[in-house]
Amino acid sequence: MNTLASFFTILIYPAGLTLILFGMFYEWIDRKLVARFQNRAGPRWFQPFADAVKLLAKEQIQPGIVNPYLFFALPIVAIAGASTAALYVPLMGFTPPSSFSGDLIVTLYLLSLPTMCVGLAGWNTSSRFSLIGATRALTQLFAYEAPFMLALLGPALVAGSWQIGEINEYAQTRWLILSQPIGFIVALIGLMGKLELPPFDAPEAETEIVAGALTEYSGRGLMMFKIGKSIELVVGLTLVSAFYLGGLSGIGSFLLKSVALLFLMSVMQTLFTRFRIDQTVGLWWRFGAILVLAQIVVIILWKGYMP
Amino acid sequence: MTANSPQLWEKVIDKVRTWARLNSIWAVHFNSGSCNGCDIEILATLTPRYDVERLGIKLHGSPRHADVLIVTGPVTRQARERLIRTYEQMPEPKFVVSVGSCSISGGVFEGCYNVGGSVDEVIPVDVYIPGCPPRPEAIIDGIIQLLADLQGGKPRPVVRPNVAAELPS
Repeated sequence: MNTLASFFTILIYPAGLTLILFGMFYEWIDRKLVARFQNRAGPRWFQPFADAVKLLAKEQIQPGIVNPYLFFALPIVAIAGASTAALYVPLMGFTPPSSFSGDLIVTLYLLSLPTMCVGLAGWNTSSRFSLIGATRALTQLFAYEAPFMLALLGPALVAGSWQIGEINEYAQTRWLILSQPIGFIVALIGLMGKLELPPFDAPEAETEIVAGALTEYSGRGLMMFKIGKSIELVVGLTLVSAFYLGGLSGIGSFLLKSVALLFLMSVMQTLFTRFRIDQTVGLWWRFGAILVLAQIVVIILWKGYMP
Repeated sequence: MTANSPQLWEKVIDKVRTWARLNSIWAVHFNSGSCNGCDIEILATLTPRYDVERLGIKLHGSPRHADVLIVTGPVTRQARERLIRTYEQMPEPKFVVSVGSCSISGGVFEGCYNVGGSVDEVIPVDVYIPGCPPRPEAIIDGIIQLLADLQGGKPRPVVRPNVAAELPS
């Protein structure tokens, strides 16, 4: 029975099918909103699904120069990392299916796994565009990862726990966006950097470097990387809205808060143009990291003086 | 059931596959020697006014991601090898749309010392869109015709004999 339950957990809910469908749904909302902001009709509701099926049915070309094991394993590792991260977050407002003390750190590491896979994939395929894309993706990883982590550390410090479920319960009593606005902004923009959304899409800038690290990927591999990114989007939105927007107590609040967050992200995607990679790094380390560090110092002092 | 007639599940999967192909067309744009007129019209097709994303059409940079190769202009001697290479880099199933009079017949460049001829002398072409340059509406209509052909299961074109190699150098 236990095996059956774990199979259900892995294949249907919360990892697996539900997560993939949710990811596609959110990707569609994002594309539709951006299209509406640009005064276009936008894609139809089944567009991400049609894209995924079409890519599945296409030929997968393996370039002659690559290491074949790495070439086929990397997309699988990327999608697996993103889906495993979903086990520790309160997806759809339910208690996380798996939880232990310190799972916040594990989730953050699992969430950065797809980006590392993209970097390795770019290095492995060794086309000049994918190499530049991989370098940029990894540079950007080093830029946003620390501020994003620090931004999620604030609620953890206030709640006095490293467990996502407990922080979620603590956040339900008060909206941490009011007491830690800097952390919220940095976490939101960090999420955009993580997902390589428009202001931070230098790693896959198609006007300069074709398609970045995934230039040589086609068919199934490309589809898995894309779905991995959609899953990352859902998990990241869940994390940020659980920590800052008053916690997730049910499906209603999950949908409302994560879609509101997605709306904010689409607005910013439309407003800003692409940053150069040095501008991205400068923005994170000169402003993001320092502001968040200052806020964390304030939180620690506050906790020390007013227990 | 005999081995030749397709099973039910095969038919269903085939239907889903065709549906997905019809609704998600990623294109890559190749200029094989055009005067840039057709390229501007293709860019106009992608603008918010015509918004081809509502049909699932998206322009991608990498030929590895693309389903449709949009070729403009006559094939010059220098572009010929690159055109073939770009075509070969695309994963199956792939389609070619040739846009503009020059890509169909050579147009005003017919007989130039540096021009090899039309696109279909080099790679198999599925849809021809005439015009100098064709309007964005015409380009969208051509792609819709490609979709209709796909749905009807029209036989794919075959590669014609290469006459570009026979031209005097």
